[in-house]
Amino acid sequence: MTSTWFTRVGIVFGKEVRDHSRDRRSLLLALIYPMLGPLLVAGGLFLASKTLQGDFRQQHIEIPVIGLENAPALAAYLQDKNVRFRTAPATPAEREDAVRQGRLPVVMIVPLSAKGQERFSVELITNLGRVDNLRVTSRLRALINAYNEKIADELAKKAGLAEGYGAPIKITQTNVAQDANIAVFFYNMMPPLVIFMIFLGGVHLAIDTTVGERERGSLEPLLLAPMERGGLLLAKALAALAFTAVTTVVNLAAFRVFMGMAVASSDRLAAPPGWEVFAQVFLIAIPLMAFAVALQMALAVITKSMKEAQIYLGLLPLIPALPGMVMVFSPLNPTDLTAGIPVLGQMLLINQLVAGQALDPLHVVIATLSTVISAGLIFALAAKWFRREKMFVLG
Amino acid sequence: MIEIENLSKRFGDVQALNDLSFCAADGRVTGLIGPNGAGKTTAFRIVYGLLSPDSGGARVDGIDAASERMAAQRQLGVLPDVRGLYPRLTAREHIRYFGRLHGGEGAALEADIDDLIQRLGMTEFADRLAKGFSRGQELKVALGRALVHRPRNLILDEPTNGLDVMSSRAVRHLIADMKALGHCILISSHIMSEVSLLCDHLVIVQAGRAVASGTPDELRAQTGADDLEEVFVRVLDSSGASGS
Repeated sequence: MTSTWFTRVGIVFGKEVRDHSRDRRSLLLALIYPMLGPLLVAGGLFLASKTLQGDFRQQHIEIPVIGLENAPALAAYLQDKNVRFRTAPATPAEREDAVRQGRLPVVMIVPLSAKGQERFSVELITNLGRVDNLRVTSRLRALINAYNEKIADELAKKAGLAEGYGAPIKITQTNVAQDANIAVFFYNMMPPLVIFMIFLGGVHLAIDTTVGERERGSLEPLLLAPMERGGLLLAKALAALAFTAVTTVVNLAAFRVFMGMAVASSDRLAAPPGWEVFAQVFLIAIPLMAFAVALQMALAVITKSMKEAQIYLGLLPLIPALPGMVMVFSPLNPTDLTAGIPVLGQMLLINQLVAGQALDPLHVVIATLSTVISAGLIFALAAKWFRREKMFVLG
Repeated sequence: MIEIENLSKRFGDVQALNDLSFCAADGRVTGLIGPNGAGKTTAFRIVYGLLSPDSGGARVDGIDAASERMAAQRQLGVLPDVRGLYPRLTAREHIRYFGRLHGGEGAALEADIDDLIQRLGMTEFADRLAKGFSRGQELKVALGRALVHRPRNLILDEPTNGLDVMSSRAVRHLIADMKALGHCILISSHIMSEVSLLCDHLVIVQAGRAVASGTPDELRAQTGADDLEEVFVRVLDSSGASGS
């Protein structure tokens, strides 16, 4: 009674999946770790929306001031624009310290020399290193500029000049970033993190089923079973691929759910990509998962110990994720050439999907073929190494 | 039957096997004994297809272990020195895994597994995860794994290493039963009392070659020693002297 090649691959695959579904580390990597990135990104999006967004024109701001009595017209103008005042610390050192430490968002100082003058200067003590101060500081600057233009117009009118003579260029600004692009910036962080998880999801399984088996001494009994070595490694790779796929599904679903929750906190943020986009990202990423697993198996097979494998494979996810991080700030669209670079091709396509762009079917074919072929070649190399006597003879 | 003919194997500068030949016949327990590093494990690994010989060959029931590895492996049950269990599988799952890899399935396989669990005294821990098993329990699982496909030939590397008295007795009885059924049993052991109790034929190996072989009585007669340990020492001394 002998079994077929497929049956034997299925038996080993089933054993590895059963074995590792009982392993805390494999489960952590597959089910919990993939939620951390989405949680951080969605948390960042939520905080950014709270800090930078909202219709501030309707809200009052409170400005610590010194010498406001020296410019009553400015004070009245600002009060009319929903600005409330409070007394700032008395000494310059105290004021600067309070702003530096973030206890005060800004301090406005109107010097004595402004008293009774139409032209005077005001000093703002600001700390632009703190994002939470930007809202108050930029609104105060905008109001003072508006007051400036109003006075310039009045002076021009008095002098019989045309309105706007004193301030020839008026800037009107429509900040769409505050409404939509902040969210899009965070959505662009998703592809590198998804790719990072793809290269991490099956890593423990890849190590444990190869170099780990050798170290535990269970590889030798396994190789005594009548089975092709290539089939044996393939079964283990398929098990690692299954865990990688689960990791990716959890990762993508967590991104969609958490980002949806962050966006729900504000009606001014762009909605995250829909579930159908996430499904497409998963499909595009399948060759990438195969590539990641092939690379993990190859590295795991040539390393001498689990410790060594953990060092190499722990760093591996960073390498493909780095170009993705660069593309968060400088997005790149695929060409026939770049789509053909394994891993990069998928990365570009996933970026396009997340950005809501249509994919060029040719790019999808090129990227899929190049990554699948590369994965096959790497796996063939891993299988060749796996057949070496060195693989199972320690010492 | 396991036949080894003019087997040589070198690892770098080390000549692990040097023209080793012997035969382990059916219905007999053959003991391969020798000091550490003599080449016993290397010879076993060539027989079960893990290593390829530089020259010579090994056959299991007439099947060449190198060119027809999988067919030879089907005829073999092996208990390696390192038991190598999966901590997250139960004893029963271990035996089932290897039974299925050998082509077993369904009710017949489950019946064989139940029978082995009974015979090896594993009932108490058959459905427990292997993590934390004693050495005796590990050995029983490894034996079950080696026997599940009913092999005609058995290779047992240090079969009672680390076992308590009762477990050692159980293993010895099992070996005797297998021999009575006409199986070929090839064992390696450092325990001379065990070798004396179990083996019908001995092959003493040193530096990768067989330096003496025969029944325990024949070897006693050749060396003039009554005790098997003394036989072993005298054979090694004389082969060392002849080699120098």
